[in-house]
Amino acid sequence: MHIPDGYLSPSTCAVLYAAAIAGWYSALKRLKRVLLSRVVPLISVFAAFSFVVMMFNLPLPGGTTGHALGVTISAIVVGPSGAVLAISIALAIQALFFGDGGISTLGANCFNMAIIASLVAYASYRLIATGAAIGSKRRVAAAAIAGYLAVNAAALMAAIEFGIQPALFHDARGMPLYAPYPLSIAVPAMMIGHLTFAGVAEAAISAGLVAYLQAADPALLCNTAGALPATEEASAITPAATNSLRRLWIAVALLMVLTPLGILAAGKAWGEWSPSELAMRQSAGQAASAASNSVAPSAVPAGMQRLAKLWTAPFPAYAPTFVKSARFGYFLSAMFAVGILLLVSLMAQNLVQRRREVRHS
Amino acid sequence: MAMPPMFELRDVCFEYDGIPALHGLSVQIAEGESVALLGANGSGKSTLLRILDALYFPSRGQVSFNGQPLTGEALRQEKFAFSFRRRVALVFQNPDVQLFNPTVFDEVAFGPLQMQWSKQEVLSRVGATMELMGIAHLRDRPPYRLSGGEKKRVALASVIVLDPDVLLLDEPTSTLDPRSQSQVIDLIQGWKGSSKTVITATHQLEIVDDIASRVLVLEEGRVGATGTSAEILANYELLLRANLVHAHRHSHGTITHTHPHLHSHSKHEHKGSSD
Amino acid sequence: MARGGFLASTMIGFTRALARAMVSEQIARQAGLLQSLDPRVRVIGLFTMVLAAVLSRKIAVVGALFFVAVTIAILSKVGVGMLVKRVWLVVLGFTGVIALPAIFLTPGDPVAAFAGGPLRITVQGVETATLLIARVETAVTFTSLLVLCTPWTHVLKALRAFRLPQEAVMMLAMTHRYIFLLVETAGQMFESRQSRTVGLVKGAAGRRIAARSAGVLLSKSIELSNEVYLAMQSRGFRGEIRILSDFHMRSWDYLGLAAFLAAGSLSAWIGR
Repeated sequence: MHIPDGYLSPSTCAVLYAAAIAGWYSALKRLKRVLLSRVVPLISVFAAFSFVVMMFNLPLPGGTTGHALGVTISAIVVGPSGAVLAISIALAIQALFFGDGGISTLGANCFNMAIIASLVAYASYRLIATGAAIGSKRRVAAAAIAGYLAVNAAALMAAIEFGIQPALFHDARGMPLYAPYPLSIAVPAMMIGHLTFAGVAEAAISAGLVAYLQAADPALLCNTAGALPATEEASAITPAATNSLRRLWIAVALLMVLTPLGILAAGKAWGEWSPSELAMRQSAGQAASAASNSVAPSAVPAGMQRLAKLWTAPFPAYAPTFVKSARFGYFLSAMFAVGILLLVSLMAQNLVQRRREVRHS
Repeated sequence: MAMPPMFELRDVCFEYDGIPALHGLSVQIAEGESVALLGANGSGKSTLLRILDALYFPSRGQVSFNGQPLTGEALRQEKFAFSFRRRVALVFQNPDVQLFNPTVFDEVAFGPLQMQWSKQEVLSRVGATMELMGIAHLRDRPPYRLSGGEKKRVALASVIVLDPDVLLLDEPTSTLDPRSQSQVIDLIQGWKGSSKTVITATHQLEIVDDIASRVLVLEEGRVGATGTSAEILANYELLLRANLVHAHRHSHGTITHTHPHLHSHSKHEHKGSSD
Repeated sequence: MARGGFLASTMIGFTRALARAMVSEQIARQAGLLQSLDPRVRVIGLFTMVLAAVLSRKIAVVGALFFVAVTIAILSKVGVGMLVKRVWLVVLGFTGVIALPAIFLTPGDPVAAFAGGPLRITVQGVETATLLIARVETAVTFTSLLVLCTPWTHVLKALRAFRLPQEAVMMLAMTHRYIFLLVETAGQMFESRQSRTVGLVKGAAGRRIAARSAGVLLSKSIELSNEVYLAMQSRGFRGEIRILSDFHMRSWDYLGLAAFLAAGSLSAWIGR
């Protein structure tokens, strides 16, 4: 899912670069608290490992390439900050030496595959594996699930970045200037390849390596073990580190919740499509939404449907039809829901943490 | 006033992930000595060399170099670190580990560049060292296109170029063909007579006499015995205990011979007895 | 050799060749146009050209930039053959796959209609696809020129001059070296296993072996990397990249920088 040069508008690139730089800066700062010079070679190994893993990629129509990342095992061994740096370095070297992923889009690629993926991988792994013994099967399963989620989260972000390009950046004749596929094509095209192939590959690699390390070198798994059963030693993660991690998570969750609103706001300003094309799209779009609406009630939970209507209802007539389609609405609702879930779980974690601190003081 | 020993270790302990490698090891090495560190694989030879090179720091005990303590703190001071790194050189067992530059020239120049020598000095010293080691013709070669013997010579060149006072060699002749082996041994013999301190870790008993005047035998993470090479090599029981030789049985017809067998199989003494 | 074995060994061989190409700095040692410029000028200049390509909305401008890229390549002793093989075809492979459907899927004025089918090629579609492919090829050519004509340590030193943190530069340097080590180790492991197994191991057993091999490879790489880091420290490495000549800007470098910036801004302006 490397995004090449020229597929994202300069403004999109700039925004994502800013986000990436924030992520790199925070990761470096967090690592400096640990003895950086000891961790640097280890991060470099995982960067190299991730590089080689990513080299085995397949082109997927409509959505760049599909491949595993190696981000999950990195996050499990060196932690999320280390993984952010490791994958970013691998991406940078790929962009420079092989043109796999663009230079202008390096920020975007790092944001998707290094930052979002690391966070999702680490959080899911911790969520599922916490409390299990280092050698338990639960950790292996946690790694698999974490890997699957991480790759698909990254792919989804990339698909969104692709998908909003044609609506936002096109010339007067309707020719898309950057990525040419709207969300309705970009998202399914990207996600199908990753939900089926790349996600499974990453899950397999992560699970396989965790299982191997459990036997060969369990010490490597202790860094990010979280709470262990009473018989094993306490985790190395300090409360301070978890707090800053949580802050990052909150930021991501807010971003997910607010982005649909951002797109909505921008939607009011659209409307530069040529009339013939608009007519064609409207009829196609209406037919599609009519079809999906008639099918939907049995397949989609009622709550989601209501939420979907909320997004699509207030659009002015001249907005591109894909924004009005029910599918887009479902997608936005899903993002919104996940964001809410994240925030809720973070708040819950916060409460648990606070209660634990009170008990120990 | 007596000169402090080049190296002094007192009760040094070191563990890898909880597995002890060195157990209360104490030893003194004087300047100019040529020492052979004998020990089977896993006896702690490599670990000891790295502690001497201030790459690892003991979990307990003290290490000092020329009277100055070798601690993490001390090595963080730039002036001391540069002086130490120039004066003490370690040649790793696996040359690939030591060849991390794009070409042979870059490799040999790496040390001098870290020392921040002038461009002039770097060029002249690197050139001279490459001539000395007979690798001048390999100047632009990338490390993966070198033979085993060539790699070893480049690794040696890359430390010799700094003109160190102490040379720590970890199994310098393993993985080498006979001709390269003898070249390396010649080199070490050249240092034996000079003011340089040389500490060679090896398990090849037959070269010990050539390269060292003093022998330290490592057993289970501490010094099991120390003496001249003649003394140690004659002490069969010690060598057997330290797993440096093994008793080998073979039969001729109805007669069975038991005799000590050096690992290298190049020296063979029959003290046969029949049982 | 069984079919699976052949495929795997060509893949490993290919990866090894790529890793060696990354480490070899043949072209960087030649005397060419880019090689004569200060590495910092090369970094700024080539990135400016990439930016110009991305900013341009007109195919003609991107085409002109591509022409400039090829000219610089030839003047810097980079063979067109190498560019074709290593860069252009590869990029066409994955960008072509993405861009091709755009020809049909982009709404707009039709160019040709297939009888009876819903597939329509539109003018906008063709233009988009062409612009996309041209842009990527141009950008990647410039990026590749940077790394082909500049020793990696010089690239890093230049980045350091632009205030990239020392730890980041150190990690970039080490990763570059470890990629090579990792691939070589993998290659050797593969070769030794090939010589020990007869026939092809299929199914669950094959996957288990693959998983274990990946684990062993990771462990070996971690161990090897620790050793390499120790070896670097032993020879005085303390985190700063040091190279033989420090960078000095001469008038030729200023000229080059000015040329790059002018060409970049002009293209961005005309192509806006």
